[in-house]
Amino acid sequence: MSAMAVKNIVKRFEGVCALDGLSLEIARGAVVGIVGPNGSGKSTLINVLSGMLQIDDGSLYIGGEMVRMRGPHRMSAYGITRTFQEVRLFEQMTVLDNVLVVLARRSVIASLFRRQEVRFDADARLALEMVGLWEKRSDLASTLSYGQRKLLEIARVLVMQDMQVYLFDEPFAGLFPAMVKTVVGVIQDLRRQRKSVVLIEHNMDLIRQLSDTVIAMDEGKLLAQGTPEEVLARQEVVGVYLGV
Amino acid sequence: MQELIYYFTHLLIMVSLYAILALGLNLVVGYTGLLSVMHSAFYGVGAYASALFMTQLGITFFVAIILSVLIAVVISLGIGLVLSKFDGDYYALGSLGFGVILYSIFLSWKGLTRGALGIPQIPKPVLFGFDFSQITVFLLLVLVALAGVYLFSHFVVRSSFGRVLMAIREDERAIQVFGYNTLYFKLTVSVLGAAIAAIAGSLFASYITYINPSSFTTMESVYLLSVIILGGLASLRGSLIGALSLVLLFEGLRYVGLSGEVAAHAREVLYGVILIVLMLYRPQGLVGNYKL
Amino acid sequence: MAVRRASVRGKVSFLLCLFVFLVTLTTEDGCVLGIEIWYTGSVSSVIIQLTINSVIVGALYTLIAVGFTLSYGVGKFFNLAHGVMTAIGAYAVFYLTKGLQVNVWLALILALVFVGVVGWLLERFIYAPLRAKKASNLVLLVASLGAFTALQGLLSIIFSSQIQTLSQGRAVQQVFTIFGATITHIQVVTVVVAALVVVSLVVLLRFTLFGKAVRAVSDDEEVSKIVGINTARVIGIVFFIASAVAGLAGILVGFDTAIEPTMGMALLLKGIIAAIVGGIGSVYGAVLGAFLLGFAENFGIWKISGEWKDAIAFGLLIIFLLFRPRGILHT
Repeated sequence: MSAMAVKNIVKRFEGVCALDGLSLEIARGAVVGIVGPNGSGKSTLINVLSGMLQIDDGSLYIGGEMVRMRGPHRMSAYGITRTFQEVRLFEQMTVLDNVLVVLARRSVIASLFRRQEVRFDADARLALEMVGLWEKRSDLASTLSYGQRKLLEIARVLVMQDMQVYLFDEPFAGLFPAMVKTVVGVIQDLRRQRKSVVLIEHNMDLIRQLSDTVIAMDEGKLLAQGTPEEVLARQEVVGVYLGV
Repeated sequence: MQELIYYFTHLLIMVSLYAILALGLNLVVGYTGLLSVMHSAFYGVGAYASALFMTQLGITFFVAIILSVLIAVVISLGIGLVLSKFDGDYYALGSLGFGVILYSIFLSWKGLTRGALGIPQIPKPVLFGFDFSQITVFLLLVLVALAGVYLFSHFVVRSSFGRVLMAIREDERAIQVFGYNTLYFKLTVSVLGAAIAAIAGSLFASYITYINPSSFTTMESVYLLSVIILGGLASLRGSLIGALSLVLLFEGLRYVGLSGEVAAHAREVLYGVILIVLMLYRPQGLVGNYKL
Repeated sequence: MAVRRASVRGKVSFLLCLFVFLVTLTTEDGCVLGIEIWYTGSVSSVIIQLTINSVIVGALYTLIAVGFTLSYGVGKFFNLAHGVMTAIGAYAVFYLTKGLQVNVWLALILALVFVGVVGWLLERFIYAPLRAKKASNLVLLVASLGAFTALQGLLSIIFSSQIQTLSQGRAVQQVFTIFGATITHIQVVTVVVAALVVVSLVVLLRFTLFGKAVRAVSDDEEVSKIVGINTARVIGIVFFIASAVAGLAGILVGFDTAIEPTMGMALLLKGIIAAIVGGIGSVYGAVLGAFLLGFAENFGIWKISGEWKDAIAFGLLIIFLLFRPRGILHT
């Protein structure tokens, strides 16, 4: 059963094809690792899947139904959420507000008149405790260390309700080993809850450890797809990484 | 003695009017991060609309104020739709443009506004036969309005809505990904800011009883910006402190022996220097929670 | 394919909007708000006069827009204090010629150097420290707004807000007549000076080492620093030149009509609009934008009152921001 799929998608930037007829499927409850050299279109794929970029051609399916993309704010209604490669926090807001803000009602009127619910506070606390930031809840996000910032982003997607697909763009980059362990725990937890995870990662040990399927990309195209052992052993995958 | 009381009452009324304006502007600039340089235009819309309703149609003040707020809402909705395409310094520039266009209407649509001649003999409020023309009674009315606007702003910024506004200010694209159609949020806050400015404008027109375009220039918008930046962006308390300190500072200029015109220009110098110094050394203002 | 169609549609709707905007201003429908009929006389002589007027204000706006666009290029923020330079230049000449009885030509040179130094000082002591702190461009914009307000207030205190003129002795300027349209001596000078300034700026930017440095800093300040360009000095000089040219515009206005401390705001707004409409950062764009604005304004008020000029200018800006936010010359 596929949670999300794309068929023959094309995305061009000023003539350069960042995604060139790419098709892939993300199974429900699976962790899909995406590997490929820099500039192979991994982040562009995440941006397309999260609705931040409009595709030039091709189609997108969510839960088996074809979806027209109309702006990033529609995608969370389909149960899709993400983190960013370059961390994007709400810098001049507190750590707690960074998490609570995604729990507000989506409509203006409701967000004005439905006050904070106790349940929201409990959810936010749970997510922040999971990444070890509850103690820092009253600090401004801009005062956090690099690793803590990455963890706060993860807490922010965890607290979102009823998500089906989590897109993680290099969540481990620059983290201390203890923090890596935390994030590994988070991803394994999501998998146990039958959520789908798309994971961009350069560390092949983590890809092997976490992924059910691995997709190797190069120049916006699918290079190889399969179990981690299969894909990472393929000659051409090793080739593009070493630049051979 | 009588005169001294009159003078202080007048000062308090002006401080309160500026505080109301600052509260509305702070919602837009401080909480949502949209650097609006057209706030005085909505102040003008409120003043002109209620002045015209009262003098031309003979509508009573308390109905006129509601109608003028509605007019400001409609105009700000249209302008907001256009401005929603911009952010950052281009928003500032676009809003400056709309400020100038609205000012041109005050000045040049002579059939309606009488241009530079202005509108005289605007009546004072009367409610169920009760007369607000005495200055202390009018102060009471303005203070009630200020308290209402303050409580309303407090309600807005403490709601989940207010938190989304701040997220829009910090990173609009990011908060969109979490499912918020930021257009509606930005439109709503622009409309609220304009409506609050129109309330201040109506009160001002009825208090001064004579208005002309010179009270609603771009410079006036700059003054209002310095009020909220000095007091503190994203801080309601800051708006009150900013209005109080700048109005009193201006009055203080008169007491160091500056004549009317020189004092007015000294005020410009002072506001300008305050903006520069704040940007250099304290961009969040006195008690602010946000640095531009 | 889909992309191309979308951009064609964008272009068509943009041109349509611009067209409708200009038509509503020039036909009877434009009279909804305005009352006075500005020009009387035969249509063809009106058109010639309007064309000449457009060229004159186009030249004037060019002088402000080129400086604005250059300082935006190196500083990457809207330097609103640019506007008050026009008034400072005009009042410097006013003080030197009428107060100190200095020879006009000497006064002109001293005034231009003075304005340039004021611009340089703002950059050195306000903008450069802010940039060093990695301040956002909004902070720089607000600081320059503060500088504008403070300097304008200072001028009003020193010279009072009374209207003055720079022209010497002769009560009436020499006037030329072309096909029944009139143009004053100073207006001819304005057009010639604007052309000279643009040509020298283009030569300076294109063929000198300094010009190369300016282009490098406009491209990327960090990289320019790394390759050994003294970026602080380059930016300082650009602000000096930009301010001096703006001052020149103010002086020309002063000789043609009159000066007052608040003259800077209107001129600044026109300069900004011209720079953005043309494509910010480009000197050619600034020239193109300035003349487009000049024509739009003058033909816009053909049938309605002249007071609507500012509103027309901003209408043009908003149309461009909506449909072509990066200007005519930007691809």
